[in-house]
Amino acid sequence: MKNSQEVLELDNVCTYIGRTEIVKDASFQIKAGDIIGLIGPNGAGKTTVMKTILGLTKFTGKITMSGAAITENNHHALEKVGALIEHPAIYPFLTGEQNLELYSHHHQDMVKIISELGMDSYIKSKAKGYSLGMKQKLGIAIALLNNPKLVILDEPMNGLDIEATIGVRKLIKKYADRGTAFLISSHILSELQKVMTRVLLISGGKIILNQSIGQFEAISHQKYKLTTENDEQAEHLFKTKGINFKKQKQYLIVGQEDIFKIQDELAKKKLHLKEMLPIEANFEQIVVDTLNKERD
Amino acid sequence: MIYSIKQEFFKLYHKKMFWLAPIIMLVLMIFTGYAIGSDEARLTAVMCYDATDWITFILIVIGATSFSMEYQNNAILTLLYKASNKIYVYLSKYLVLLVYDIFLHLVAVGYTIVLKGFLFKSNISWTSINYYHQPLWVNTLQATLLDLAVSMLIITIIFLLSCLINSNAVVMTTSLLVVLLGESISSDIMSKPKLVSVLKWNPFNMLNLSRQYGNYATYHLTTHLSNVELLMGTLIYIAVFFVIGYWIFRKKRF
Repeated sequence: MKNSQEVLELDNVCTYIGRTEIVKDASFQIKAGDIIGLIGPNGAGKTTVMKTILGLTKFTGKITMSGAAITENNHHALEKVGALIEHPAIYPFLTGEQNLELYSHHHQDMVKIISELGMDSYIKSKAKGYSLGMKQKLGIAIALLNNPKLVILDEPMNGLDIEATIGVRKLIKKYADRGTAFLISSHILSELQKVMTRVLLISGGKIILNQSIGQFEAISHQKYKLTTENDEQAEHLFKTKGINFKKQKQYLIVGQEDIFKIQDELAKKKLHLKEMLPIEANFEQIVVDTLNKERD
Repeated sequence: MIYSIKQEFFKLYHKKMFWLAPIIMLVLMIFTGYAIGSDEARLTAVMCYDATDWITFILIVIGATSFSMEYQNNAILTLLYKASNKIYVYLSKYLVLLVYDIFLHLVAVGYTIVLKGFLFKSNISWTSINYYHQPLWVNTLQATLLDLAVSMLIITIIFLLSCLINSNAVVMTTSLLVVLLGESISSDIMSKPKLVSVLKWNPFNMLNLSRQYGNYATYHLTTHLSNVELLMGTLIYIAVFFVIGYWIFRKKRF
């Protein structure tokens, strides 16, 4: 049931801790069914962005949820938002079921989530005996309660085993197909890559990139490896013409954005290309390259 | 707001202390009854076999963990974003503890009736004229209401401390010190005769309200305030500390 209905909008949002500006002029939209991956290095402001959306920090600018404004002291618009920030919010003296009951508006909804996350076997025992993974699943379950329009997950795969990771991934996709939007931050980029539909790259508190995953991988950062009949001469040529390249084994690695220029320059110097092949996109490397580019 | 209150009740109800407290209180009341004996039958009945002191200790334990459990379990963020306004989180916790305070006082009065009727029988009836030319049952109820006001002040102080200090152990210790040493701190503060007229309004002095009600002659010499003045001071400090506590909570970074 994916549609283009706008769920959340941030308009020129700046977040402050004391007098320090942590999030700088962030503007983006999240639509129903979107799975947004919020990616950035440690201290980039990912958690602060999430906390700001939840009205937990002082900010300037405008945040609206389905058209209704969210402020630090008015959270009415957050009624349909579920979140797991930093660590799961679990009371150890309650059972898993009671922890869910605390937030659940509909018993049936709760029972369904318990089953979907495979928590039936331990849900009636006290949460103080739960492992990290069990707590994490319970935290995700709390975030998914009451049919939220938007779910914010900070490092959701923390402590999960492979089976649970696959389960959570499937569940996220299932909810997104029904129209729930997700904003997820994770350091396990390969996991995030499997679910997200859009990438929000944040560095130094600034949103430096907001693209669909397809665009991000295929258009902006595709790399090619090439060899010529005289690589030494080609290297010299690239240096003088300001073409970015890296030497890797017998290949010269170049970006897709320089391909036409390279072909043109090589032709002028009558240097023949022996081989030119696209390199399968390595998501983590693309992210690192993009962040490095931004820093430069 | 109702949602936040329901949540707080749910958590309190599922704490072991919620159910253990009335049992512990009964044991301590029986112990007090035996320890003081029948010589002070009137006073023990008015003071509900010292239940007021035990209630204070119970409230300190529960109150001190009220906020710290949220910080320790990382639940404060969820509570805050789920509540439509920050004040609802603070107020709901306060109201729930107040209701529990009232519940404990009612239980204490109930226990007193049972203990006086069956375990610590005396010649003094509930209708006999006692302090302030009033029947014993009126004295007991008034003392309970006054103690309720004092315990509200203690809850307010615990909440204020909880917003300043994240560790429940420190909050608990500090609150106990305030309660146990309040009287002597207040006396020390008022050691300069010239300033007594002002210093008698210090907050520690207000903690003597229920004790003074049961033993006016002795305590008035220390407090320099009448029962009504102590009650007024208590209510004003409740309001002041509540506002300061909430202001700190609002400014706190989570």
